[in-house]
Amino acid sequence: MWRLLALRPGALAREEAFQGLAAPEAFRPLESPWEARRADPRPWPEPLYFVDGKEREEALLAQGERVALLGSVAAGALVHQGGRMALLSPVVRRVGVGLSEPLRVGELLYEPVEAEGTDYPSLRAGLQKVREDLEKRVAQGLSGGLLVVDGPVRFPRPGGPLLGYIKTHWARYLPEGEEALLHALRPGERTPAFQVSREGQALASWYVRLPLAPEGLRPPQAGLLRVETPLKGPYLELADLSLSLFPALASHPVKDPRAPQNLAPIGALERELARRMGSQEVVERLLRRHLGGG
Amino acid sequence: MERIGVVLGRREATPLEFWVGVEGEGLLRLDDLVVVKGFHPRVGEVLYFGMVDHVAKLHEGEAYDTDTFLAVEGQIPVSLAYVAHVSVTRILPEEFFPPDPGSPVYLAQGEDLERALYYDAMKNQRGSTKLPAGFLKNGEVAYLNLEFLNGVKGGHVNISGISGVAAKTSYATFLLKSLLESGVLEDAHQARVLLFNVKGEDLFFLDKPNARLQEKDRAEYARLGLPATPFQSVAFMAPPKKEGYVPDLDTRLEGVRAYHWDLVQFCQRGLLPFLFADRSAMTNLGFLLAHVTEKLKELAQGQKGPSLLVEDWPEEDLPEEVRFDQLGKVRLKTFAQLVRYVEYKLLGPETGEGEGDRRWTARQARPTLEAFVRRLRSSVENLSHLVRGDRPGNPPDPLKGEQVHVVDLAKLSPQGQMFVVGSLLKDLFERKERGQYRGRVFIVLDELNKYAPREEESPIKDILLDIAERGRSLGVILIGAQQTASEVERRVVGNAAIRVVGRLDAAEAERPEYRYLPTSFRQRALILPQGAVILHQPEIPVPLLLRFPFPAWATKREEVLEDNSAEALRREFF
Repeated sequence: MWRLLALRPGALAREEAFQGLAAPEAFRPLESPWEARRADPRPWPEPLYFVDGKEREEALLAQGERVALLGSVAAGALVHQGGRMALLSPVVRRVGVGLSEPLRVGELLYEPVEAEGTDYPSLRAGLQKVREDLEKRVAQGLSGGLLVVDGPVRFPRPGGPLLGYIKTHWARYLPEGEEALLHALRPGERTPAFQVSREGQALASWYVRLPLAPEGLRPPQAGLLRVETPLKGPYLELADLSLSLFPALASHPVKDPRAPQNLAPIGALERELARRMGSQEVVERLLRRHLGGG
Repeated sequence: MERIGVVLGRREATPLEFWVGVEGEGLLRLDDLVVVKGFHPRVGEVLYFGMVDHVAKLHEGEAYDTDTFLAVEGQIPVSLAYVAHVSVTRILPEEFFPPDPGSPVYLAQGEDLERALYYDAMKNQRGSTKLPAGFLKNGEVAYLNLEFLNGVKGGHVNISGISGVAAKTSYATFLLKSLLESGVLEDAHQARVLLFNVKGEDLFFLDKPNARLQEKDRAEYARLGLPATPFQSVAFMAPPKKEGYVPDLDTRLEGVRAYHWDLVQFCQRGLLPFLFADRSAMTNLGFLLAHVTEKLKELAQGQKGPSLLVEDWPEEDLPEEVRFDQLGKVRLKTFAQLVRYVEYKLLGPETGEGEGDRRWTARQARPTLEAFVRRLRSSVENLSHLVRGDRPGNPPDPLKGEQVHVVDLAKLSPQGQMFVVGSLLKDLFERKERGQYRGRVFIVLDELNKYAPREEESPIKDILLDIAERGRSLGVILIGAQQTASEVERRVVGNAAIRVVGRLDAAEAERPEYRYLPTSFRQRALILPQGAVILHQPEIPVPLLLRFPFPAWATKREEVLEDNSAEALRREFF
């Protein structure tokens, strides 16, 4: 018999792991000279896909010594075609990380997912893994055009080009000399591309400065987006295209506290995904009723 | 059944109103009728019938109004919601539990539509009482229950709307057409209609086909089950011109009779009070008025008219043109002479200091008598062509002859209009009260605010109140109209079972007289096009927005379809 330990455990442990800003050991530029670059506007490829996922930690359960994390995970895609942005049907899963068999809570059914460890960070990692898998599954169902994913590039895309974009910059990729360019970068400009590698994957990456109203003085990192794409692809072409793409999709600070990096379509997609997960209050009420007080 | 959407769960669903989400390519408009099936294990199946009174489309999930710009530019996806609010008109069986959110909603068509609008209940032992009243928005024929119009369960119609665009008269005449010729009113051949023409000469072509009537209009009449013909049996009456004895009309010359009362009729029928419209301003004259009316009745007793013979008017006081006849009596030939005679009886000889005839003065003080005479004198100018002694009286008699009587008031002074309306209604109502005519009588009177104003008292208002309150049991039905119901006596409007609203002005629509209309209908009353009205009847809890067909009869000279056949020409020349 599982008992409720805590609702919304994520809210208690919101502090992100801070990776420390060590300078990169190796820096390999892919373009020279090292200066701000602009590109002529160019049409967006069609279809243009956006994929994003979202996870929601709903409850921490305990059964004796065992602990399990219940959560909802959703991933969805938007397609831009013919001047319209449309939502493709999203996928939602309700999982219990650390469970060994399905758990029914009223009308909710949590599928079991194995966890790496039994401590809370491992359970969270397990939930994130489910979300990443779901995003990958959604992305694999999309053929042709260009795919834009929220976050780093974690999987290859055999069907076509792929762009990942990173909104917050916990890691440093540029040596100090080159980093000065980031401060000088103006809206609509990008740095030259450089090579990075993650988990054995070789990627091309560059920074883009998004417009942020009102124009004028700003903190150096404001509106900075790091974009990456597999090194095997036409990365220079994509780097120039990204200047036509991301600034046009930037959100407005009035509407989104994470503006401008949180792109408008992704913001809308996230709202939609949250809606598909169901009302958190209703879920909590069911959990309380069936699993006891937390 | 055409499925149109589902009952929404985000907003309250109640037994009396609920919201519908329209799905896919579905189309749901204001006034559309829908049906929902509800189920409860202890009650069984329940059908909710309702009418759409609000529809809206909106982008769901947009946090800011300006998100729409992003959606249009294709930057964010939107989910378009198309929702409708439904007011329930009927629940079968009457189990008032709410429908389940998510229940499918269907368009009410055919039998469902009839049940939604209670058409299945519009019948009596002898058959259907569905009277065609126009077309619904979806093109179906709309009905009203005749039993609420002919006096069985209710009676009277009241029509409000701005003059000129609201089509009050057009709708009233269309209703008459339906009453007289749809065959739903059983004794329609016995029914009589008294139509007062208050403006222009619009009603003077009721018997002429309309040249502008098109094929599609004829088809509409056919769908209503009505012949697309003008009225068959109409008498037209107009007051005479002040000089001579020709009907005072500009656009129609043939087939119109002049009407007037002769002096003997005026006295015998006790029409004097209808000269005094503002009773509130003359409370102390009321007693004297009744007394003089009675005296005039006595005087005219047994006389044949048209002139009135009096014997006690001394020679020295006679006006110049009046002479004794052979029998020593004085013959009064004009209304002015009658007024002079009454003046003599009340105030005494003009030349002397003397006082009036005590049998006439009813112990009233001289100032009262003088006030009375002043008022009487002032009416001579307005009435002398309507009340005369030179030829036998010919007042309109709606209970004889043609089925429809059109009586013109347009060119009369307000006092003359009051007099004609009051006299005719009083006569008609008294005869119906005495059972002298069996058929129903429909009276169409516009500008009710003038005849039955909310604030003032008048003899005509008394008669209209009488008709409104007792008329339906006597078979006298008032189809009244006015620009503003708020200015008409509450009991007159309140007694009308059928209420019709054409285009209203915005301030008027907010008055309590129109609270029976749901808000959305009050808003729409401001923008109603010509040829459309909102009709409320007691059985159906929501009003219906109706369109009625183009008149098959001419409404002005230019519309008359000229009949140039040899037969018609021969009639005209020989």
